[in-house]
Amino acid sequence: MDVGAIDRSATLGTGPLRSADPRSKLVALALVLGAVLVSWNALVLASFTIALLAASVWGRLPVGLAIRLAAYPAVFALVFAFASAPDAMTASVIVLKATTAALGAVTVVLSTPYPQVFAPLQRITPGIVGDAMLMTYRSLFILLEKFSNLLRAARLRAGLAGKNPVRSARVVFSALGGLMLYAVDLAQRDYDIMRVRGYEGRLRTTPAGSTNRLADVTILVGSLVMLATSVVWRSAATTLNPYSWLAPLPALAALGLTFALRRG
Amino acid sequence: MSHLHIPDGVLPVWLWVAGWVATLAAVTVAGRVAERVDVRRRVPLLAVVSALMLVAMSSEIVPIAYHINLTVVGGVLLGPALSIIASFIVEVVLALLGHGGITVLGLNTLIIAGEMVLGWALFRGLVNLAGRSRVRLIAFVATVVTLAVTTTALVGIVAIGGSGATARESGALDPATLRFDNPFSRGVFSLGLFSGGEDHGHAEREQHTVEAVEDEQGPDETGLSVGRFAAVIYTLGPIGWAIEALLTAWLLGYVAQVRPGLIWGGHWQRSGGRMPGDEGTVN
Amino acid sequence: MDTDTVGARATSPDDVVRVSCIRHSYEDGTSVHLCGLDFVARRGERTVLLGPNGSGKTTMLYHVLGLLRSREGSVRVFGKDPATEWASIRGRVGVVLQNVDEQLLAPTVLDDVAFTPRQYGLGEPEALARAHAALELLGIDDLAPRVPHNLSGGEKRKVALAGALVMEPDLLVLDEPFEGLDPRSRVELVSLIRTQAREKGVCVIMSTHDIDSVHELADYCYVLKPGGEIALEGTPEQIFAHADDIARSNIRPPILAELFNRLREIDPSTPQAQLDVEKAAAALAAWGRGR
Repeated sequence: MDVGAIDRSATLGTGPLRSADPRSKLVALALVLGAVLVSWNALVLASFTIALLAASVWGRLPVGLAIRLAAYPAVFALVFAFASAPDAMTASVIVLKATTAALGAVTVVLSTPYPQVFAPLQRITPGIVGDAMLMTYRSLFILLEKFSNLLRAARLRAGLAGKNPVRSARVVFSALGGLMLYAVDLAQRDYDIMRVRGYEGRLRTTPAGSTNRLADVTILVGSLVMLATSVVWRSAATTLNPYSWLAPLPALAALGLTFALRRG
Repeated sequence: MSHLHIPDGVLPVWLWVAGWVATLAAVTVAGRVAERVDVRRRVPLLAVVSALMLVAMSSEIVPIAYHINLTVVGGVLLGPALSIIASFIVEVVLALLGHGGITVLGLNTLIIAGEMVLGWALFRGLVNLAGRSRVRLIAFVATVVTLAVTTTALVGIVAIGGSGATARESGALDPATLRFDNPFSRGVFSLGLFSGGEDHGHAEREQHTVEAVEDEQGPDETGLSVGRFAAVIYTLGPIGWAIEALLTAWLLGYVAQVRPGLIWGGHWQRSGGRMPGDEGTVN
Repeated sequence: MDTDTVGARATSPDDVVRVSCIRHSYEDGTSVHLCGLDFVARRGERTVLLGPNGSGKTTMLYHVLGLLRSREGSVRVFGKDPATEWASIRGRVGVVLQNVDEQLLAPTVLDDVAFTPRQYGLGEPEALARAHAALELLGIDDLAPRVPHNLSGGEKRKVALAGALVMEPDLLVLDEPFEGLDPRSRVELVSLIRTQAREKGVCVIMSTHDIDSVHELADYCYVLKPGGEIALEGTPEQIFAHADDIARSNIRPPILAELFNRLREIDPSTPQAQLDVEKAAAALAAWGRGR
């Protein structure tokens, strides 16, 4: 899990997606999800995927990382599709739905610092849940770093264990064992720190607004267009009509345009 | 296989909405219960165990589409109320990283929470029966049983929602209709624009497709195949269960040995760890 | 030098912290026994705990912060027992513990520095104003919107220190405060801590094993032996005048102290050890001319 790279992208870069209001991005994500839910047309879904890629090119996000992250659920969707879909078209729709939804979520996460993503959830959940959510993300960084150190140390000490699956599993197991003890002690130290720093049961985040109204509007209009396309296509054309191949064209054009603009 | 790797939009709306509603209710209740005890003590442990599960879930064993979950370990360490919150947090983070669907987040939380709570209950119950000396065996058995039960629940969800999910669109997914006609040679998008509604699939298909398609499959035959899904899950699953159970047995055995207080209650007490920087203290 | 040549410090109205003969036993049976001399820290003074790994420096600080409770001896901070009465004194104490990675709790730097004022129920504008002031004091106002775990080690340490200073504490407890700092940040921080002590009358307690800079860090030092006994106390000059006692505590004396001691073995007319490079150079130059 490349949390470090995700976080660097969210917090350090520039570009219209990063300067937009986190709330607009979350609303846009909901609209894109709606579009994914409604559509059962492989080509329409493919056009959404392409449009989201265009958005991440436009937003100067690390496109390779976005694709890699979205490919992860695609693997699982492929297994699910293989296991349950009646035909190749259904299977491809299932995989495309997974990829498009994931790409939408990833686009938001790659352009928004995690506190701003969690803030709305923090508002609707009990105090302990929101605080623990923020602390989990923070602990995740500490634990992932520790885990890779433990794994490296275990591998070095185990010599060429990587060749032998059983021994290599043992290496992972012992690293996880070490990680778990470390994690428990970390919780204790966190508690100590919270106590001396006066924690009373609420971690607060300073809300971040928008510094680019045009980006907000573009994001919202773009996602509305996707939802509208999805709804209209579904209600107007219940079959994969002969003109479905047209759907990806505007998305491809947008992708080409954003690439050209980014180069230029 | 402990949570749904079912993409957004495959399950029917009522099912995933119900999942979300049930999850939010469960999390709210669990939050209230957890807050009755000193919150400062609970937030760090909750966060750290959730993060630990996320680290475990981040490494996928690709050929069997399985990843370690540490749900039973988490359940034993956290107890039931915090387990529900931990599973929600884990699913939210996973969904944001593109790992799981957002609509199925509610159902996934319920499955993971069920797994953690069941694992905790089985572990506790078996320890009471067989004694503390057999931690590893108990952890192994509790994990296998837990995973078998929750996997069945997973198949159940697909059975409830799966077949209805795609049958309605059978025509739209027929490869025979995938053609590349010139939109300017005929009226584009005109046919069926106002006749929408998925219920008329068969009738419309004949209007829509320019050439009649020899496809008269009924909706039921084209839905998701629950039988095949179950077959795949129950074939690949046990390999994953075995891995997970071995790991759980090893981890809980290890903790029982070096930090027994964490498992046998009293995990709110200061652990035996040294202060950072004082690791070399001698008597 | 016997432990009592410098002498245990008498009670003074300026005492902020006094720890006498505490013992802490860990779950695995080992224990740290911080006996010998009383540990005293006063208002407007920088008190440094020196000792090798495992001598119990952090254990001592954890007792001062009430995170550990001693079964023997007594711990008094502002006249109260921190383990049981922490709530009544915590607003007067700023803390930076050793592992700063784990200490930054909030999602952004600004939120982290504003953490304590918000927990104390100060209004949002005041909490943010205080946080910005603390960040400016450390010269890191530009880090405000950043996520803490992306910062360098030195930046994290400064953020943690800003978080400790934000409530303008009367007692500042710093566990190994200079680890991971580049030389320039180090100099800035040393001067900042000196200002806090001298001008604002803050009582500063630091632990370190950075011997060479003790003379510029400390007004008063305590040296711990392995296993936890408080072996020596005094000003840095007093402490490092006797290399043998220092060596017994498993501490290498500052390089300049070592140089002067070696020179004195060769030539007894060697002047009094100076721990500051400038002063040492001047003393040795004058001595050389005199010969």
